[in-house]
Amino acid sequence: MNFTTYARRNVFRRRGRTILTIAAIALAVLIFCLIRTFVAMWNAGADAAAVDRLATRHKVSITMQLPKRYIEDVRGVAGVQKASWAVWFGSKDPKKRTEFFAGFAADHESWFDVMDEMQVTPAELAEWKTTPNGAILGDVLAKTLQVKVGDRLTITSDIYPGDWEFKVVGIYKALRRTTDRNTLVFRWDFFNNDPRTSFSHEQIGWMISRISDAKQSAAISQKIDKIFDERDDQTVTMSERAFQLSFLGGFSAILSAFDIISAVILLIMTLILANAVAMNVRERTHEYGVLRAVGFLPRHVGGFIIGESLFIAALGGVIGVAATAGVINGMVGPALEENMAGMFPYFFTPSSVLVTGFAAALVLGILASVLPALRASRLRVTDALRRID
Amino acid sequence: MVPFRYNVRSLLVRKLTTFATAFGIAMVVFVFAAALMLGAGIERALGNSGRADTVIVLRNGSDAELSSGIQNDLLNLLVSQPGVNTAAQGGVIGEAVAIITAEVVGGAGVSNVLIRATPAGGYAFRPEFKIVAGRAPAPGTNEVVVGKAIAGRFKGVGLNQSFDLRRNRPLNVVGVFEADGSSYESEVWGDLDVIRTSLGRSGAVSSARVRLTSPAQFSSFKASVEGDKQLGMKAMREPDYFRKQSEATSAILVGMGTGVAILFGLAAMLGAAITMNGAVANRSREIGTLRALGFSRWAIWLSFLFEAVVLSVIGGLFGLVMVMGMTLVKFPVLNFQTFSEIVISFEATSGVIIGSLIFTVMMGIVGGLFPAIRAARISPIEAMRG
Repeated sequence: MNFTTYARRNVFRRRGRTILTIAAIALAVLIFCLIRTFVAMWNAGADAAAVDRLATRHKVSITMQLPKRYIEDVRGVAGVQKASWAVWFGSKDPKKRTEFFAGFAADHESWFDVMDEMQVTPAELAEWKTTPNGAILGDVLAKTLQVKVGDRLTITSDIYPGDWEFKVVGIYKALRRTTDRNTLVFRWDFFNNDPRTSFSHEQIGWMISRISDAKQSAAISQKIDKIFDERDDQTVTMSERAFQLSFLGGFSAILSAFDIISAVILLIMTLILANAVAMNVRERTHEYGVLRAVGFLPRHVGGFIIGESLFIAALGGVIGVAATAGVINGMVGPALEENMAGMFPYFFTPSSVLVTGFAAALVLGILASVLPALRASRLRVTDALRRID
Repeated sequence: MVPFRYNVRSLLVRKLTTFATAFGIAMVVFVFAAALMLGAGIERALGNSGRADTVIVLRNGSDAELSSGIQNDLLNLLVSQPGVNTAAQGGVIGEAVAIITAEVVGGAGVSNVLIRATPAGGYAFRPEFKIVAGRAPAPGTNEVVVGKAIAGRFKGVGLNQSFDLRRNRPLNVVGVFEADGSSYESEVWGDLDVIRTSLGRSGAVSSARVRLTSPAQFSSFKASVEGDKQLGMKAMREPDYFRKQSEATSAILVGMGTGVAILFGLAAMLGAAITMNGAVANRSREIGTLRALGFSRWAIWLSFLFEAVVLSVIGGLFGLVMVMGMTLVKFPVLNFQTFSEIVISFEATSGVIIGSLIFTVMMGIVGGLFPAIRAARISPIEAMRG
């Protein structure tokens, strides 16, 4: 009988307790990983923004519009390669097949040149340029709305009255996993010529520009804003990432609440594990006295206790991590991508979250056992032997 | 029945274990109660707002004031609709709303603030409106007042500060108001014409609020407004409108909160089960003695279940005491309907406390059930033999 055999037999001596402890740790790691995945995915859209693109909006608020002629000024700025613009449409499906999707009117000449991760075939693009009421949409949205190329599509708006009739001329392909596949794009000139939009005639919502050197983005942003500084409608230009983050700004309190909660579950996990270790140690105190009496050193006793705790934590961690991968990638992820694509265009557990979850289990496995281990190893042999409970 | 003192003393003997388990349960109850308090706070801010005799009129197709628009000339047609109370403080109030992006004080990013441009009668129209600092804005000027929930939260939107709505058109904040905890307290209010002009929207308002002579007049008013195709408007009772506004936000927040708390609860139940299992194992000789003294299996079962519930309730009460600290915390959330920020406070209602205690007792019962069965099954002869 050597060290490992002794340790292994000890682990499952209280089988019920060990199994419950492993289950509790697995559950805690699962909860931790689920919360961290949620936070990571929430920010994913912004993290995936192109670094070489800038967004320009009205200084007061994204809901206020800019004169369309501003685009020519932006295009004239040194360092700006291409620029395009769009107007938010507030789209709604009159048949209520989906609660929410992004829809906007964009410039048909330049939009897909700037947003090159939304790929359309040259034939589709040519068709769009000759079809005033042509619309291009993502494959997920096309499936939801049950349309294919060539179909008619009726959309209503939260902002502009009446029914809007489009002809589907293309379905864009998402070149990156992070690209929103749930967006509808139609022609700005068609939108602008409609009398129902007269109160925002020749106005645009925001501009997107592609710059030649991503390192220059701060300087170019300043240059753009300076042009409009003396005009009635001032602008704010920022990286596309900052632009996306500004939509999420209202959720920052929720995200910090989740940060706190994910720390709390680790604390609870440590308490449960520490309690189980302490109970084991208390029951075996007499035995540790025997071990010491036959020649084992204090560090052996301490090592047994920490090793056992670490083993239980690692086993719980592995199960928790595996369960996370199963739950997210097998069930929750596909369901969210399908039903809440507006909020989560994609949803999976990043491996960094799994690694963090497992590492946390190991660290806390040690933390939970340090104190009982120290105490047990410092015990005097005679005191330990005297304890029989 | 085994005396309850037996259980309480047993818990006290194993102080450290009792404390560790109870503290774990306290954390779970904290999270659970905080989620419920947030739900109660949203209910107070959005769900409870509005008066039964007040109707909100929006453009057909819009679900929120922000995306709605009503031309001035159509607004005048509302006054002659059936049921409208045209007495002083009543009648029809047309308002324009807009959102501005403001920097959070302390460099925590930007957020959206709702600006409400209201005519002079708009303040008296809402008797719950009260100035708590500074003074009321003078009509027809660029003076505004800020709701107390967001006063000082954003750069430029605090008392005696000013912010630009458009170049060289600053709005000066001259007062702070409260409005019975409703979402109005997360808004900035100012003069209708001054603000509309700055926004370049002089010809229209966003929405209209109509005071009826009695709540019963609603159906005839609604039928008349919505039947007139020329108007192209829809009418909703104000409380219904606010409820609809809060639905999405509240469902998501409370759903996420209680979902997390229930998962936490499972973990805490396992913790309680481990502790109680340990207690049963260590006290098998005691249990055998109790049985030999004549206590039935049922009495033992009940006794250990009771001990688990006591353990859980100690933790739960501790968690509830800690969560009371959350009443001081302001929680800003994005209202999905208005796209602007509302600041929610955690409300400790009696419902929250009762709900948390029920949750606590449930955790104790589920966690203690199997250890208690195990204790009841112990054979007195074997246990006392050692």
